[in-house]
Amino acid sequence: MEEDELVDADFYLLAKSYFDCREYKRAAHVLRDQIGRKSVFLRSYALYLAGEKRKEEEMIELDGPLGKSDAMNQELVSIERELSTLRKNGTVDPFCLYLYGLVLKQKGNENLARTVLVESVNSYPWNWNAWTELQSLCTTVDILNSLNLSSHWMKDFFLASTYQELRMYSESLTKYEYLLGTFGFSNYIQAQIAKAQYSLREFDQVEAIFEELLRTDPYRVEDMDMYSNVLYAKECFSALSYLAHRVFMTDKYRPESCCIIGNYYSLKGQHEKSVVYFRRALKLNKNYLSAWTLMGHEFVEMKNTPAAVDAYRRAVDIDPCDYRAWYGLGQAYEMMGMPFYALHYFKKSVFLQPNDSRLWIAMAQCYETDQLRMLDEAIKCYRRASNCNDREAIALHQLAKLHSELGRPEEAAFYYRKDLERMESEERDGPNMVEALLYLAKYYKSQKRFEEAEVYCTRLLDYTGPERETAKNLLRGMRSTQSSLPPTDVDHFTP
Amino acid sequence: MTGILKQPGAFAITPHKVSLCILLKIYAPPAQISVPFPFSSVSQHNRLGLFLLALTKSCDDILEPKLDELINQLRLVSQNWEASWLIDQLISRLSSLSSPDDLFNFFTDIRGILGGPDTGAIEDDQVILDANSNLGLFLRRCVLAFNLLPFEGVCHLLTNLGIYCKEEFSSCPPYEETSLDGSSSNLETYSEYENMDLENFVYEKVSEEIEARKEASERVPFHLHTPNALLSLVDDINVAADSASKQTDKVRVASPYEDPPSNMIQDIDSSGAVFLRSNWQVQGYLQEQADTIEKNGSAISLNGFEIILRQLQKLAPELHRVHFLSYLNGLSHDDYSAALENLHCYFDYSAGNEGFDFIPPAGGNSFGRYEIALLCLGMMHFHFGHPKLALEVLTEAVRVSQQHSNDTCLAYTLAAISNLLFENGISSTAGILGSSYSPFTSMGISLSVQQQLFVLLRGSLKRAENLKLKRLLASNHLAMAKFDLTHVQRPLLSFGPKSSLKLSTCPVNVCKELRLSSHLISDFSSESSAMTIDGAFSTTWLRNLQKPRGSLILCQENGSGNSSNVSQFCAQPTSIPGSVLQVLGSSYILRATAWELYGSTPMARINALVHTTCFADASSSSDAALAYVKLIQHLAVFKGYKEAFSALKIAEDKFLSVSKSQILLLKLQLLHEHALHRGHLKLAQKLCDELGVLASPVTGVDMELKTEASLRHARTLLAAKQFREAASVAHSLFCMCYKYNLQVENASVLLLLAEIHKKSGNAVLGLPYALASLSFCISFNLDLLKASATLTLAELWLSLGSSHATRALNLVHGAFPIILGHGGLELRSRAYIVEAKCYLCDTNFNVFEDSNLVIDSLRQASQELQLLEFHELAAEAFYLMAMIYDKLGQLEEREEAASSFQEHILALNNPQDPNDPLVSIY
Repeated sequence: MEEDELVDADFYLLAKSYFDCREYKRAAHVLRDQIGRKSVFLRSYALYLAGEKRKEEEMIELDGPLGKSDAMNQELVSIERELSTLRKNGTVDPFCLYLYGLVLKQKGNENLARTVLVESVNSYPWNWNAWTELQSLCTTVDILNSLNLSSHWMKDFFLASTYQELRMYSESLTKYEYLLGTFGFSNYIQAQIAKAQYSLREFDQVEAIFEELLRTDPYRVEDMDMYSNVLYAKECFSALSYLAHRVFMTDKYRPESCCIIGNYYSLKGQHEKSVVYFRRALKLNKNYLSAWTLMGHEFVEMKNTPAAVDAYRRAVDIDPCDYRAWYGLGQAYEMMGMPFYALHYFKKSVFLQPNDSRLWIAMAQCYETDQLRMLDEAIKCYRRASNCNDREAIALHQLAKLHSELGRPEEAAFYYRKDLERMESEERDGPNMVEALLYLAKYYKSQKRFEEAEVYCTRLLDYTGPERETAKNLLRGMRSTQSSLPPTDVDHFTP
Repeated sequence: MTGILKQPGAFAITPHKVSLCILLKIYAPPAQISVPFPFSSVSQHNRLGLFLLALTKSCDDILEPKLDELINQLRLVSQNWEASWLIDQLISRLSSLSSPDDLFNFFTDIRGILGGPDTGAIEDDQVILDANSNLGLFLRRCVLAFNLLPFEGVCHLLTNLGIYCKEEFSSCPPYEETSLDGSSSNLETYSEYENMDLENFVYEKVSEEIEARKEASERVPFHLHTPNALLSLVDDINVAADSASKQTDKVRVASPYEDPPSNMIQDIDSSGAVFLRSNWQVQGYLQEQADTIEKNGSAISLNGFEIILRQLQKLAPELHRVHFLSYLNGLSHDDYSAALENLHCYFDYSAGNEGFDFIPPAGGNSFGRYEIALLCLGMMHFHFGHPKLALEVLTEAVRVSQQHSNDTCLAYTLAAISNLLFENGISSTAGILGSSYSPFTSMGISLSVQQQLFVLLRGSLKRAENLKLKRLLASNHLAMAKFDLTHVQRPLLSFGPKSSLKLSTCPVNVCKELRLSSHLISDFSSESSAMTIDGAFSTTWLRNLQKPRGSLILCQENGSGNSSNVSQFCAQPTSIPGSVLQVLGSSYILRATAWELYGSTPMARINALVHTTCFADASSSSDAALAYVKLIQHLAVFKGYKEAFSALKIAEDKFLSVSKSQILLLKLQLLHEHALHRGHLKLAQKLCDELGVLASPVTGVDMELKTEASLRHARTLLAAKQFREAASVAHSLFCMCYKYNLQVENASVLLLLAEIHKKSGNAVLGLPYALASLSFCISFNLDLLKASATLTLAELWLSLGSSHATRALNLVHGAFPIILGHGGLELRSRAYIVEAKCYLCDTNFNVFEDSNLVIDSLRQASQELQLLEFHELAAEAFYLMAMIYDKLGQLEEREEAASSFQEHILALNNPQDPNDPLVSIY
């Protein structure tokens, strides 16, 4: 008996070696008569991988006259048959369940796949692959909540990751921070936190996290494309080039590496070269979402709008929830002078990301174009934008301007004042400030609230240019009216 | 960006072609004497040759026959023992191909049977294939295709060959026995997909086959049905050779989603997407489906077609037209969001550069043609009843196409805008159109909507003429005719004295435009050969799918004499394109409408008849339904309701699937009319409300329907003697018509108002309305309505007192020619009654002398009214008759008329008649 097990173990070891050498069929053949749990799993898994390998080869060999073949993994049926009988007999182990779930998912039986994967992770929670498969089957929060998962710390990892996928960033962030308490030195959690922060547009924090990560894990390529995006947004030329060089030396044929290089060239304004690298990234991974979107941006820069539209649309088809690509589509059409058509895309984009002021502003600008002039709609959009943390403070200024254009002085003054307050608190200065001051001065003058008007006029005197003269004139005019007025009236105006 | 598709005619080597090569080798073995071994005579040899010729010609077929079918066909072609020899050879040679090297050797050998370029030097009795003959070319293509294969390709060919042979062996292991048994067992498996007579046929066939063997007759092979039946059989059997097999399964799984009654889907299922192979075939298929959707969208089931499209998209990710088809599919099934998504998707991918055949490729324009996207989006919004959005989008389309100087698109867009303005009531276009297009706004002159429409139409027409867009030109002419029909010609800019204004519509113009539009057909028939659109060939080919197989065997019967049968299915279509016919058809509908308005019912009827008889196939189902509607309306007016309803039954069966159909509308109209006449007012009101519900709630959309509903509402109120309410409904209707420039409708509303005042006893108030209506009728040339208005005017005068009787009589007599010539039953009888009343009121009229004059009119009227079941008027007629008879002292007749009078009055007061068959319709 013992000898048998030893012999079995030998078979298993041989098969495992073949498997490690990627000789899947050979591995499966060695294990053909074995009934041990490990052997059964290894055999089925080897068969599955052999089928996958053959499928991919066939996809290239058999690209039919229409451009694509529908090659299938030929082993799925037999694996499914075997594993389902095992499951029925109750002699199935969690790993086989994972494989079964995988097969079911490929065959389109998603509900059963979900049940099987839940069974698998409940009996063996440390198989992250099973969790990820399960995650890809959770497309809505309702599905996620309906899963019957026994509690385990792996579940927290799963939830955090799934929240991220479902665009529930703050929930995901809290989960990860909680996990960080236990796993203090985990690079993975750090990177995931960075991802969530990135989605929440907290670039400084993301940068800090990545710097830390690179210190502890210098040859990391994973997630580094996100870091490069942050560096791009912050226009850190040298840091980005350093990063590009680093990943290039580590592994140049990683989609992430290509993407980082593409970002670098884009920042340098060499858009053709950057497209080349994005293309390479896409060749390495056809479904690399951000590369499609970034390539779209490059095409927009190159004024090749049809190509940009194409690239964005591919991104959208990979992930219909990618608000950046929808936004890009809208932008491209707006560039072509089709603002009304573009609105459709902007609407999609704001629907997916309703808390992003940039999207609302883009949509508002679209309504504002000369061709449409749908100012009321534009005002609504700007109002939304100003409500969700508009960093560049475009919305308030535009709101004020639009209201004054539409002849609504009260609203205009309200927004100018708000804009002014904001500029004061952020200590910004510039033409907007002058414009706001001038409008307010005139407005209060017309309202006969001379004191306030005077305040704004005097502030205007600090500036050079024609506004200063206007302010002087205004002041002069006010003084003369005030002096001509009977004193009772003046008393009336001074509280 | 645009599709990276393989060359259309990609010639791939398949197991079937390998079998053909083997047969060719048997047919022309190298270094053999004139009649090679198995054949006993030259004619037999030739027969195999012809068979092979037919097979090679059908090699670009959508699906290839399997081995057992090939064997069956061989059996039919050749004699008994030589057939089995042939088959023996074929199978043994096929199964000897077991390694890639065998294949290499086979194709090297095959080259030997081709004659070299110096064919002349060969001995006479040697059989050799001319390298440039059909068979030789086929062989060369096969060899070339094989040589181009990479090693993987050879491996796949080998695997496929294995499957090809294995299926044959499994289906009939002892092949010496009749292989038909094999196929009939196959048939049982798939019988659920086939109809009964096929099964019968096969058994019949078996016995015939046995007889045939005994007699060794030559008759059997030419059985015409064989290939058809086999073909339809094959449709449902998996073609094992390539990837199509899996797809068949999928489509079959999809079948529960499909509507069983629509056999459209059956077609798609069996001959469509599943076996389509080349790019062109797919394009042709898509084109055909687009045509079908355009003609009658609801004939295609939403989900069934969607599944096929998804399959196609999976196989051909770069063929973006699939998205367009699913847009059309969504559109025809009123699936707004799907249509919108797919439209955007299509244009994002294709940039408008794929699939619009009618536009010549613009040179050097690399920016895409997104203006077409806008045009389509605009039309979509129009279809879904969002006129404001549509106008917005179309304005953008105008701007963008001007920017990209795409005149064709501009012409189409302008046509679309004018169509939109025409169909939907938009009270003001200020600020929408003006800024970008109209040349007048720059001069600071604002135009009314209809003037703007006129300018647009003219602009579009001119553009279409310059660009030689014939179909657009024709439909623009139609639109122009429509405009002329309902709008008064007014100078666009009125400077100077207004005396020169001629305020009337111009029937001559309408006629001219209609004529111009149908000139199209002569243009097309002269140049139709140049009009083949990419993929159209495949389309016709698809349509004739059944035919080629039929002729394939047929041609052997007649020997070489009738080889034209084979080429027949390769012939180009020479008929006029369907879209042209459609435009022509609608011109006839428009003619009918025009005559209807101008008051010549016979002409209207003739034109509707022309449409139903000549354009029934080509026209869209809504057009066809409209023609039926016109005919039925005519019946109702001239023959009474019984006939109309029986005709309606037929039409209902015919146009079952038409959504939001005119047929339903017609049914409601007829029922309402009928209920009004019979005095069944509650029912009438209910019907009227239902009519109103059919219209879209959006302002400005479905104006025609809304006008009709409220007109009927007012009439119902009038019949219920609620004059005040009726008048107020009519007033608001008048305001609406005025707002949306519905002048023709205004004429009838005014007439209705006059009628209301007449009935309420306020003749003096009614007169101005009647006169206004009359002047409307004159300026719009609405002759029949004018006659009716004249009649009302006469009645109004008459009710002012007997002193006006002569005046009224003159009016009636003036209107008589048109009423008797073109008027319906109701109008005629009304005229008779009014005439009689005039006479009776006239103090100069002597009842005793001229009684026949009055009695005849009244009798005529009463007869026609009985046909219509118009109780109220009929009662009046009989009352008058009874009075006259009383005067004349003819008591018997008096009693008769009086009892008829009583009958009608009773019927009017007690409208619910349980025996009435017509009530049950509703």
